[in-house]
Amino acid sequence: MSTKVAIIASNGGLFDAYKVFNIATASAATEAEVAIFFTFEGLNLIHKQAHHQLPLPAGAEHIAEGFKNANIPGIPQLVQMAQELGVKIIACQMTMDVMNLTKEDFIDGIEVGGAVTFLDFAKDANVTLTF
Amino acid sequence: MPDIKVNQTLDCKGLACPMPIVKTKKAMDQLQPGQVIEVQATDKGSLADIQGWAKNTGHQYLGTTEEGDVLKHFIRKSSPNEVKEEKKHPHVVSNEELHQIMASNSKTTVLDVREPAEYAFNRIPGAISIPLGDLESRLDELNREDDIHVICRTGARSDLACQWLAEQGFKKVKNVEPGMSEWTGTTEGNH
Repeated sequence: MSTKVAIIASNGGLFDAYKVFNIATASAATEAEVAIFFTFEGLNLIHKQAHHQLPLPAGAEHIAEGFKNANIPGIPQLVQMAQELGVKIIACQMTMDVMNLTKEDFIDGIEVGGAVTFLDFAKDANVTLTF
Repeated sequence: MPDIKVNQTLDCKGLACPMPIVKTKKAMDQLQPGQVIEVQATDKGSLADIQGWAKNTGHQYLGTTEEGDVLKHFIRKSSPNEVKEEKKHPHVVSNEELHQIMASNSKTTVLDVREPAEYAFNRIPGAISIPLGDLESRLDELNREDDIHVICRTGARSDLACQWLAEQGFKKVKNVEPGMSEWTGTTEGNH
């Protein structure tokens, strides 16, 4: 049976996005089964507009150039790659209700679910990560 | 070092993690089992990443060469039945027996039927390289009367080679088992 990787993304900055999507795409490319549960500010990472312009931490704005110089792929590109590799994206229903968001506010191809949707996947995961 | 023959070359130069791995995975999906890919990358982390990736996916990491800033990683796509394949050639010698034969008779022919990239990184000194797929077209490089010990990584490809050579009238071909995967004698390679 293949390795299962369960990730919780609960923060909405650019650094957070790279941590989440680098690990997710690398795992999926290594033939792991990957699911990410996006909750609270983590929802920014899959929000149609927001994921194109995620903020850098205060005081770290100059690092934007470093990303460019090192030829790091953009977040939208990583998200697309993750989906192509079969990474399961789950948006937290409860947070969406609180923030008055609907499934249409997010990128295509996501699932919406509650905590148990994620737990059902994570209960026998080999690796569980929280960002 | 000379170029190593591969089935596909993948350019990942200038790409950062995790792109070299992602592109390697996608390219590997298109290859046939047994084929070899050369992944060119400038990401220094790719050296450890590619090895870890191969270990976890079951593909065979052959080695890496360096040319300036470019790392060239060589990986062979594994086939699910490689270890399970039924062996049929009746004449078999163990690694240890081959070792003794070579020590006592320097004229023994060792025929290595792995891919050129596998041969390039790790081979028995003096072994002749003819990949299994090229055996038919290069048959005239071998002598039907010679003692020929055929070797590959695990004994599966060499078994097929032995069977086929026997059909072509080679009288003294023996399959070496298990082969290079557990060879403890002297080896050489382009590093």
